[in-house]
Amino acid sequence: MTFAIRKLAYSTFAAAALFVLPATADPAGTFRFAEQAKLITMDPHNHSGGGFSYLRPVYESLFDRNPDGDIVPVLADSYQVDGRTVTITLKPGITFSDGTDLTADLAARNLNRVIELGVNAGVKLAEKAEATGPDQITLTLKSPDPSIIDALSGTAGMMVSAAALDDPALDRNPVGTGPYVYSPEESREGELRVYTPAPGYRDPEAQGLARIEISEIPDNTARLNALKTGQVDLAIFLSSPQAAIVDRTPGLKLLRQPGGTTYHLSVLDREGTQVPAFADPRVRMAMNYAIDREAFSKAVEFGLSTPATQPYAEGLWAYDPALEGRYAYDLDKAKALMQEAGYAEGFEFTMPSIPIFASRLEAVAGFLKEINVTMNIQTVEPGTLARRSRTTDFPATNLVWNNAIDPKFVTTYYVAEDAVFNPFRIKPDPKLTELSEAGLAIADEAGRAPIYREMLGRLAEESYMIFITTTPILFGASDAVATNETVQFRPGTDTPYFAGIRLGN
Amino acid sequence: MLRLIGQRLLAMVPLLLIVSVLTFSFTALLPSDPVDLIIGDRGSEEQYQMIRERLGLNEPFVTRYVTWLGQAVQGDLGTSFFNSVRVTDAVMLRMPATLSLTFASVLISVVVGLGAGVAAALRPRSWIDRLATVGATIGQAVPNFWFGLILASVFAVSLRWFPATGYVRLAEDPAGWLRSITLPALALGLSTSAAIARQVRSAMVGVLQQDYIRAARAQGLPARRVIFRHALKNALVPVVTVLSFQITVLLGGALIVEQVFAINGIGSLAVAAVRQQDIPMIQGIVLVLVLVVMAVQLATDVLYGLINPKARPA
Amino acid sequence: MKLSHVRPSTLAVVIPSVAVLATLLICALFAEWLAPYDPLQQNLMDMLQGPSAEHWLGTDDLGRDVLSRMIHGSRIAVIAAAEATGLAVLIGVPVGLFIGYRGGWWDWVTMRLVEAIVSIPGIMVAIVIIAILGTGLHRAMFALGILYSTAFLRLARSVVLTEREEVYVRSARVIGASPSRILVRHIFLNIAPPLIVQVTLTVGAVLLAEAGLSFIGIGVQPPQASWGTMLNTAAAYMELNAFLAVPPGLAIVATVLSVNLLGDVLRDSIGRGIRLPEATPVHVPASAPARSRSSEPMTPRADDALLVDGLTVTVSPKGGQPVPVVTDMSFRIGRGETLGLVGESGSGKTVTGLALMGLIGAGGRIAGGRVLLDGTDLLSLPASGLEAARGSDIAMVFQDPTTSLNPAFTVGSQIAEVLRVKQGLSRRAARDRTVELIDRVGIPRPAERADAYPHELSGGMAQRIAIARALSCGPKLLIADEPTTALDVTVQQEILDLFRDLQDDFGMAMLFVTHDLAVAADICDRIAVMYCGEIVETASVDRLFSHPRHPYTSGLLSAMPHGASGTPPLPVIPGTVPPPGSWPPGCRFASRCAHADAACAAPVPLTTAEVPGQQVRCVHAAALTLEAAQ
Repeated sequence: MTFAIRKLAYSTFAAAALFVLPATADPAGTFRFAEQAKLITMDPHNHSGGGFSYLRPVYESLFDRNPDGDIVPVLADSYQVDGRTVTITLKPGITFSDGTDLTADLAARNLNRVIELGVNAGVKLAEKAEATGPDQITLTLKSPDPSIIDALSGTAGMMVSAAALDDPALDRNPVGTGPYVYSPEESREGELRVYTPAPGYRDPEAQGLARIEISEIPDNTARLNALKTGQVDLAIFLSSPQAAIVDRTPGLKLLRQPGGTTYHLSVLDREGTQVPAFADPRVRMAMNYAIDREAFSKAVEFGLSTPATQPYAEGLWAYDPALEGRYAYDLDKAKALMQEAGYAEGFEFTMPSIPIFASRLEAVAGFLKEINVTMNIQTVEPGTLARRSRTTDFPATNLVWNNAIDPKFVTTYYVAEDAVFNPFRIKPDPKLTELSEAGLAIADEAGRAPIYREMLGRLAEESYMIFITTTPILFGASDAVATNETVQFRPGTDTPYFAGIRLGN
Repeated sequence: MLRLIGQRLLAMVPLLLIVSVLTFSFTALLPSDPVDLIIGDRGSEEQYQMIRERLGLNEPFVTRYVTWLGQAVQGDLGTSFFNSVRVTDAVMLRMPATLSLTFASVLISVVVGLGAGVAAALRPRSWIDRLATVGATIGQAVPNFWFGLILASVFAVSLRWFPATGYVRLAEDPAGWLRSITLPALALGLSTSAAIARQVRSAMVGVLQQDYIRAARAQGLPARRVIFRHALKNALVPVVTVLSFQITVLLGGALIVEQVFAINGIGSLAVAAVRQQDIPMIQGIVLVLVLVVMAVQLATDVLYGLINPKARPA
Repeated sequence: MKLSHVRPSTLAVVIPSVAVLATLLICALFAEWLAPYDPLQQNLMDMLQGPSAEHWLGTDDLGRDVLSRMIHGSRIAVIAAAEATGLAVLIGVPVGLFIGYRGGWWDWVTMRLVEAIVSIPGIMVAIVIIAILGTGLHRAMFALGILYSTAFLRLARSVVLTEREEVYVRSARVIGASPSRILVRHIFLNIAPPLIVQVTLTVGAVLLAEAGLSFIGIGVQPPQASWGTMLNTAAAYMELNAFLAVPPGLAIVATVLSVNLLGDVLRDSIGRGIRLPEATPVHVPASAPARSRSSEPMTPRADDALLVDGLTVTVSPKGGQPVPVVTDMSFRIGRGETLGLVGESGSGKTVTGLALMGLIGAGGRIAGGRVLLDGTDLLSLPASGLEAARGSDIAMVFQDPTTSLNPAFTVGSQIAEVLRVKQGLSRRAARDRTVELIDRVGIPRPAERADAYPHELSGGMAQRIAIARALSCGPKLLIADEPTTALDVTVQQEILDLFRDLQDDFGMAMLFVTHDLAVAADICDRIAVMYCGEIVETASVDRLFSHPRHPYTSGLLSAMPHGASGTPPLPVIPGTVPPPGSWPPGCRFASRCAHADAACAAPVPLTTAEVPGQQVRCVHAAALTLEAAQ
């Protein structure tokens, strides 16, 4: 199967995204951004999520998404997908901030490193990359993957200079092709990351800032205060009382970006090895009915989120309007189902938690208590929840689903027998497997949508994924930043485009 | 005096060695394999062995300890398990905030404690004495972080006199530093103020009954001079003892109070290191904290010798 | 401790503390019955509410009833305190007992380990232990138990070290009891009192530490309601509902405060034995101080250095009526003259000396009389005038030179300070004069000694320094309060010689207070004998020794050691000195006097006897034949 060649000729997607630029080209002003995640590593290929902002000023990917959500080439010039073969032509004349050139060999080396490290789930289906021409690389896949270009628009597609790849301290000394360079001298570990314009960057227009400062402020109140006192101009927020306060503070705006994360429970032990009740779909449905999502999003998430019964929010292509309200709060129905399943007296199970999920789980425990289900909460170390969810330590777990990722991952994460979060290795309903495979075989979203809607519908009936709420990506911004049209956000992620931002008039 | 310092420094060596053995060996007790934590479950056996090799985990315990100690003596506390950050750098970067907070609260404790203690001792059983005594008793029962929350809610959130969170570095903005450190230091210093006030009061009451105070008065020295020169210098002796003992309490308290005011000090570094089980980081933090405690205790010993001639070595 | 021995102020502490702790315990035991709601029962529509009729303390972030969570939280507090303290005792005491008894390497190694642990901030130790064990109530309390066991270990060890040297342990060992039985039977009994005190201290510390650990999220885990986790929640919702922080905070404060206060009371009562009464119970008849003046007023004379006329001093015991301690005190000292003030301890002679200086302590008051120093009434001077006179015009040397010199300053600086403050000398001039004075009082190498601290000098040397200081400004009157009593016999004579020598040189008058008639006889020109706060007889030394006119003087003379023979004094005066407040209105010596009769029941004035200059306070003075000194 051959896809049409899409020759995209933007000089940079960022320039395309921008509106009329002021004529002044000299970088000016400091843009101060607050991250809620701590910086773990600045090595994009070892990056496992949270805190992408730290990478963005320095690194560029082969592709990126523009503010409209379309994939556009950045370091790539064009690409061609032919079954298991992806051919990517590089844009000529790209240089790293250390002065070296981005060659096809180096690009292949970067991609192979991503594949070997295996941190990035988006390239799970990639096999190897090789340089097949002066400006051309070929990526071979294990099986066709309609979302491979999407994956290469994230950290997997970020290009690191050859010297930096050899540096054991790459995690703190990033060298990329981006408009800004990281300044370790001015940065303070655990507090502040400073970036300055990269000399010789190919598009000086995109370097509107003299300095970017990204503060690490994991504490919600501290981040709010930093925003209030003008120590930062823009800050990421999760749904929290502090985000609600931003919303009502004069001089500040809470910006809701499309996409977001869907919080959900997942019953892992659905054959009842540890908790027999979980084997009965009626019990799982009862749990689904017992949760008052309206109250949950109003109280626990301060009205910043919306009730969800599926992994995608309205407006995204995989969203299914038919599933809306599938599990509307109905305590009587829930109790009846429990009765029917023979668990009117309830049962008990243990749920892993991390601090940021604590209040959500406390609320869920309160709802389940109404149908006599006792949910014990056991806190695990932050950063280990996903890992523990891959083991049989717990009969159920709770996670967030990023709306920006392809629905194929529903299968690879939860459904397939060897899915990441299927530690009990339960064989899925054959129909689900069949639908998953069908979804991979088609390239365009319009064709894939009905397949995935059917799959999600069947999943809802099995009710082992209990979706609760979808929270949009939230930013707190000063009025000046909120009205600054050069400040744009990358759809589905929690990072602004640093390239192109200008301050002042 | 130099001899005293020398003696004390010498006595620290075995204690430091024991602390280093303790911190080094407790990490062997950690339930999880650090390599598992680093690579998660995506790593192959080869990667696993490679990381073990890189971290030196395949060496015997004693070899690892000696290597670590040899580097620690030269000021190199190793590298974090999770990134290329050097432990010495991370600790030194965070230390100023924690030390600022600790020493500001020492200062507050001494000023408040001395003031209240002396005022109470001068008029035993007066209202001021009762107020100070009741205040000191309550002060020792108040959790420092709760007091911090209350201070933040009143003076930062409502009155907006001070920032509610954050730490401004002294070199960057001295006035901002003072403002950022005031509320946390007050919160942290409360119980130590109370301890010092109690100690000063009882010491002063005792000292004021001494013959030498009466003798000084009999020489016609002004009452103020007698109290603040003759009596206080003697009453300071137990205060210094309290301080040397309170320094570990204050440093420990700082770790918690930092969290209330979202100060990036040793506290958040320690909690993060413990959560990640970042062994070199935990070891480094403990060792540096003990060094700080010892330095302070050395300083209080010297101070003790200065105000109490009897304690000096002959 | 019997309740009747407890002071009301102690009860005022004990009763509320016990009430708080009892409430806590009841809440912990009967939380299910007392709490109006299930502590986990949420109502998301009613979250973050303030106090109301339905929810007395409002609701939290999930609409749960705060009061119910507080009540259930008290159970956690009790469990936390009991677990951690219990574990600390169970680990610390046996190990401490063992190493204390065994000694040697066991002791050395364990104690070095304990020192190492104690040098790490406690919270850090707890954090590290939690890193190993994991979070949660029981594991966190296990961590705290280990941490606080060091205190019990040291306590148990020190008790063993003290007790095992006790004779009975040794004897038990000889009889052949096993070491463990010795430990259990003998040592454990002695450890109980300090152990109880340490337990209260630990309980308070544990409650604070548990709250702290739960607050930073590594102690008790939600949804379990502990006061610490409630504060953790409150911190996140501070800007939306600050009240959330109030109930758990106050509960912690009240509980820790109660435990600490009870600990203080326990420490006072069992740590230092049964509480002693604050002061000797004195029941003063209201009429007692009435007789303040019975003798004729004295008239000043030109050659008086000091004239004391009708001086009365009272002391108010705590909460009681003022009690006279010195009454009707009248005497004079001529220029260059030395008057000895002689009496038993408690007779009021030291108080008299201090009263002249205006230095009687808190509760004391000069109730009447005049003190004319060179014609100026010191008692009528304002405080500043009196302060100016002290040191310059009137100075004092105290009994114990080792305590009357400030241990924290060099002796030279203490003399120089007086010179600089009183005479405005420069630093250098004061120093020179100081060295001169030290030389003058007979101390070799004065410049070197000026830099010595009091504890580096012998008693005699220190007293010479004190004398030098007293004389530094050339006072007109020197009060010497038993200046030789605390010194070795051999040194006493040297100091007396020094006084005599200095008096010749400086020409000051001296009031020499002593209980020793022999010393007084050595140095004084005249002697005033005091008994029960009043002078009973005054005379020149010769006259007093040869013709005592008061039975008490006679008794004192009989009790003197006989010359150089060293024969011990004979207790010839029967009975004891009545304490202030229980003095009879008449002759105070009457109850011990062989000559007492009905006439002695009326107040007795000090009257001039047959020889001028001899005065006596006895109605029978003229009639009695009394024994003189031999």
